[in-house]
Amino acid sequence: MKPRFIIISLTSCSGCISTLISLDIFPQFLERTKIIHFPFILDVEKIEDCDIALVEGCISEDSEIGLLKEVRKHAKKVYALGTCAAFGGILSLSNSRNIKSISTYIEIDGIIPGCPPPSKLLGNILIRLIENKDTSLSEKVLCSSCPLRENMEENLDTHIIKINPNPDEIVLGEENLDCFLKKGILCLGPITREGCESKCIKLGLPCEGCMGPVSKDFTSNTINFLSLLSLSEDLKNYEGIFYRFSKPKFRR
Amino acid sequence: MIILLKIVDVCTRIEGHGTVKILVQNDEILNVDFEIGSNRGFASFLIGKKLNDVPKIVSRICGLCYASQTIASCKAIENLFEIAVPEQSILLRYLLLFGELIKSHSMHFFFQSLPDLFQIFEISQKPFSAYELIRYDSQLTTNIYELIKIGNEIERIFGGRSVHLITPIPGGLIYLPSRKNISIARKYFQKAIIILEWIIEKFIDVFSNLAPPKEYDLPNIMYMGLNDFGNFDRYRGTLKIKENERNSIEFEEKNYSSYFEKDINLRGIDFHFDKSKRFLVGPISRYKITENYEIDKINTYLEYFDKTWQNGVLFANFLRLLEMYFESQQGLKILEEPVLNRRTLLPSLSSLKNSEGIGVIEAPRGMLLHHYYVNDNNLIKKAKIFIPTEINISIINDMITKFAQVLYNKTGDINLVKKKIQTVIRAFDPCISCVAH
Repeated sequence: MKPRFIIISLTSCSGCISTLISLDIFPQFLERTKIIHFPFILDVEKIEDCDIALVEGCISEDSEIGLLKEVRKHAKKVYALGTCAAFGGILSLSNSRNIKSISTYIEIDGIIPGCPPPSKLLGNILIRLIENKDTSLSEKVLCSSCPLRENMEENLDTHIIKINPNPDEIVLGEENLDCFLKKGILCLGPITREGCESKCIKLGLPCEGCMGPVSKDFTSNTINFLSLLSLSEDLKNYEGIFYRFSKPKFRR
Repeated sequence: MIILLKIVDVCTRIEGHGTVKILVQNDEILNVDFEIGSNRGFASFLIGKKLNDVPKIVSRICGLCYASQTIASCKAIENLFEIAVPEQSILLRYLLLFGELIKSHSMHFFFQSLPDLFQIFEISQKPFSAYELIRYDSQLTTNIYELIKIGNEIERIFGGRSVHLITPIPGGLIYLPSRKNISIARKYFQKAIIILEWIIEKFIDVFSNLAPPKEYDLPNIMYMGLNDFGNFDRYRGTLKIKENERNSIEFEEKNYSSYFEKDINLRGIDFHFDKSKRFLVGPISRYKITENYEIDKINTYLEYFDKTWQNGVLFANFLRLLEMYFESQQGLKILEEPVLNRRTLLPSLSSLKNSEGIGVIEAPRGMLLHHYYVNDNNLIKKAKIFIPTEINISIINDMITKFAQVLYNKTGDINLVKKKIQTVIRAFDPCISCVAH
C-alpha cells in the first residue's frame, strides 16, 4: 500500500511547498505515494484519512485552526513543514497579527525546519516518511559544525554593534576566517539548530536563525546567550532580532 | 421578490489561497470577484527596520518571486544612497532573475496551465490529475523536471540557496563565481535551450492550429512593463504603458506616482493615468512592449500564432515558454562576460542621499515596485510595495464576470461556471502570496 499524503498551506509564502515540488525526487515522490489533498497541484478539495500530513505556514487567523484540526483528525502523523509551521516564522515580526506555530493547537509528530527547509534535509525526511521509518533531526547548534569553528569566540563577552556586515567589509572570493561575534556582528549560530550546511556563513553573512532553535533548551539557551552579550544602544531598541523566525511559546 | 445568492468556491492549482465569489440575483449572475485572503502586514512591520535588513525580510513575501522581491528591495535601497552597483553584481542579479523565472514558469506551465489547456482545447474531457500528468508523456515530465532543476541550481550557485537567496544585498551581490561554477551554469543554460526548443515545438504542434475560445480574449487594455529601449529587459530601463502602436508613453520609475498609486486601503492599485482603462502586467505586456528579441528563432516561433491567439490570455502560456528560452540564451551571453569573475569591491552604504528610494524590476508575473521612505535614523518610515497581480486583478474580475454570465445563461450549471472561470484565473498565473504581502 502506498502511503497517503495530505499537503496543505496555512499563512505562508509557499516557499516550502515550492521547494518540495521542485525537489528532483518529487516525480518519484508522486509515484511512491497517494496524494489525496494538495490544493497547489490537485483539484480535490475533500480531506480524507491519510498516513502523513505536511503542513506549511503558521496560524494567523482563527479560520485556519479548524482546517488544521480537521487535518490532524484524519492524519496518522502530522509534520510541520518549514519554520513558519514549526515556530511561527517571519510573521513573528508582525505587530498587528498574533501568529502561532501549528503545535500551539495540535500535537505534531515532527518538524522539518528551515526557511525554506534545505533540499537535502527535506528530501531525506520525505523518503523516510514514505518508507514508514522514523525521522530525526540533529540536536546540535550551528556552531558545532561552523566552518569558522577554529576561530570561534569562546568568551562571548563581546560588544555587539551590528546585525549585518557592511557590503564593503565583505571581500568577494576571500574566505571569512573570523567568528562574526568576535567582530561585533551578531550571529545566531549559538542558539540555532544545525542542518543548513552553514550556507550564509560560508558566503560571509552571519546566521539569522532561520532553522529555528534546538527544541529542548530554546529559552535557557537564548537567555544564556543574551546574558553573555552586550548590545549597542542602537540594537537594544531594535525589534525582532531574536524572534525573527521563531516566536517563543508563552506558557502559564 | 429579489433573491440574492452568494456562491463561494475555493480556487485550486494556484499559488496561495484565493476564492471566487459569485453573486447571483434572480438566477442571473451579477458579478464575480476573485478574492484573496487578508494581508500579512509586511509593509507595516518593515517600519523601523534597518535598511540592510529589509531585502531578506521581503524575500519572505513570496516563495516563488523571492529573487524579484529581494532585488527590487536592494534597488530601492541603492536609490536612497544613490550608489552605483558594480556591473559584476548586476550581471549576477540577472542570472538570479533568470533562474527564478525558469523555475516559476516551468512549475506553472506543467502543474497549473497544461491540464487546463488540454481541457480547453478538448484534448481531454476532464483535467488531468497530477498523476495522469506525470504519466502523460514521460519525456515531457523528465524535461520539465530538468528545467525546474536548472532553475534551482542557477539560484543555488549564484544565490547560495534555491529559495530566499543569501547573496543579493544592498550594494551588490556577495559572490564571486569560480570558473568551474561558470562552466556548470553554462551547461545548465545550454541544456535548458535544448529542452525548451523541444517543448516549444511540441506546443506549436499541438496548439497552434487550434483556435482559442473567445471567452479567453483580453478586453481593450493598457499593457505596462519595464523595457530597455524596446529590448526585453527585466532589470534595467524605463516603464512603458502601451495601448497600441499609436498610443504609448514611457517614464522613469521615480515618476511612477504620476501614473499610478496604491489605492486608499492599500489593497489595489489605481491608475489615474487613464481611469477608463484596465492595466495588464506580465508576459503578455512584456511581449507587447518588446520591439525585438534579436533571436531569429523566437521570431519564427511567434509566427505560428495568429491574432486570435495573440489577443487572448491563453497566449501567456506560450510566452512563458519563450521567456524561459530567451533568458536561457541571455544567461549564456552573461556567462561569457569577463567581468563576471573579476574581483570587485562593493560600494559602502554610508551617507544617505535621499529620504525616499524606489526600485523596480519585472518579476515573472510583471512589474514589481518597492518604494521606501526613511527617517532621520536611517530606518524605514513607510514602505509601499506594488505587486503585479494586484494590477491584473481588475482585468481578471472583468473577464471572469463576463465568462460566468455567458456560460451560466447558456447552461444554467453553476458548478460548471465555478470550474471554468478558474481556468481564466490560472492563465494569469496570479501570485497570491505577493498580493497578501
